[in-house]
Amino acid sequence: MFKSLLYYRYKTALILLSAVTAITSIFMITSLSGGIVSMYSNMLKTDGDIILTQKGVADTFFSDVNRTLMDKIKPIKGVKEVSAVIVGAGAIGTLPIAGIYGVSTNRYPLYHLTYGNYPKKCSEVMIGEKINSILGEPKQIKIFNKPFNVTGVFKSKIGFENGGVVIPIESASAIFHKSSSFLLLSLDNLEQSTEVISSIKTISNQVDVKKTTDFIDNYNQFKIIKVSGAVIASISFFMGFLAIVSIMSIVINDRRYEFGIQRAMGISKVKIILSVMMEVVTLILIAFILAYIISYYLLEFLEHIDKFQGYLSGEIDLYLALIVLGGSIVMSIVGAFIPAFIASKVDPIILINQGE
Amino acid sequence: MLEVRDISHFYGKEKILDNISFKLPRGSFTILTGESGSGKTTLLSIVSTLLLQSEGTIIFHNTPKCSIDTMRNRHIGFIFQFHYLIEHLTVMENIKMVTKKSKREILKLLATLDIDTLAHRYPSQISGGQRQRVAIARAIVNEPKYLFADEPTGNLDSKNSKIIFDILRSIKATTLVVTHDSSLILEDDRILTMRDGQLIKG
Repeated sequence: MFKSLLYYRYKTALILLSAVTAITSIFMITSLSGGIVSMYSNMLKTDGDIILTQKGVADTFFSDVNRTLMDKIKPIKGVKEVSAVIVGAGAIGTLPIAGIYGVSTNRYPLYHLTYGNYPKKCSEVMIGEKINSILGEPKQIKIFNKPFNVTGVFKSKIGFENGGVVIPIESASAIFHKSSSFLLLSLDNLEQSTEVISSIKTISNQVDVKKTTDFIDNYNQFKIIKVSGAVIASISFFMGFLAIVSIMSIVINDRRYEFGIQRAMGISKVKIILSVMMEVVTLILIAFILAYIISYYLLEFLEHIDKFQGYLSGEIDLYLALIVLGGSIVMSIVGAFIPAFIASKVDPIILINQGE
Repeated sequence: MLEVRDISHFYGKEKILDNISFKLPRGSFTILTGESGSGKTTLLSIVSTLLLQSEGTIIFHNTPKCSIDTMRNRHIGFIFQFHYLIEHLTVMENIKMVTKKSKREILKLLATLDIDTLAHRYPSQISGGQRQRVAIARAIVNEPKYLFADEPTGNLDSKNSKIIFDILRSIKATTLVVTHDSSLILEDDRILTMRDGQLIKG
């Protein structure tokens, strides 16, 4: 059965190449866009069961929450810890832009130090291992032209944090002219979240309080990234499979002679169509495995390019992979079935004469 | 028995076959002859179910309910003028493609045609006479009740042509062979002669 694929090897290779490209592109686009969303979500979810943002401000980058609320929130029953974060970006040393994370000291332990100590003074900073490498292990860096002494180097599971710097929240507050971007609360028990949220709302009407998971699900920036990623991936996937369908039609037309002989020898239409389907499905399975391997190593490669400061990171989601596999098989089967079905309806002798 | 009733066929508006009727008795060996362009190949294609006729009926004895595909596979064997083997399949694969018989049984059949040593060669690696024998093996592997051959010796020298005809005559099937080579016709053969799409002798 598969000898036909080898016989038409150049067209088979073209189909394989189109399928690998289409599947790889959907893996890469969705994984990279999902990776950024996932990294930021993880940052928020780390020791953050509940998040407080400025009321009516949808973006954490523009939100400004008064840090003094921390003292009022901490005594609330069920609250384990309250921390404050400022997220920003700016020129650091020779880098035109890098992430700047101002955090309250109780978040320092979330950063695993590979060297040195946590910052103790407002003029001190710890930096991610990636930016440390890019800047050549600096002892001092300039953030918005203000000098900071590097006290330690950290490694974070959240890729893009490795490409940024962590400074005391007081310093970040002075740079970005805000008290905090958001407050994160960890709870003794997640089931207490509703009561805790109600209590916070009685303390201040200037903040939006949500469970972090709910916040992430409804965060507009994430939605935009996910939707645009899905649209671009779908278009590239569709274009790739249009190519497969076209080449498949050409291959089946080339094989009219073969089908004619098979039908003349009494092989049923169903059997001929099924054998074509089997060939296509096999090709797509091979393409899927190749695309998965290529995407996996490409993502690994991109993640370790210093230039991208850890922002290009992502994993191939199993659910997405299964959808892509199913979609690829369905599209290629439809693409192959139509010309095979049309050919199978033609009288054998006509097929042979057309194919000669 | 095979009965052809009032078969006519058109290519567009042109009438290629005109109201042809004949019967082939069970186990008979019949030659269909005539000038080039007289409609022999078209008639053979229709009788062998490879081409759907415009008008008329073909009745295969005892198999009225079979689908055309089943008829073709189980009861009809066809040999083309240019053997029409699939080039990227070996001799064995070309035959295995059309039958459920084991490779051992196929090899046995190939041995009767003296081509068992060619089983793993590709069509391009064997001679024209050998290819035609492979085509015969493919046509008879399912032991068809009806065997049709379209100019099976068209590309062969006289020695090979005679061998092929001897093989065809030895097959126990109702056989209809198209040829324009009168030297291959024996006295005992039934003969149908065509001219301008009509049967003039049969």
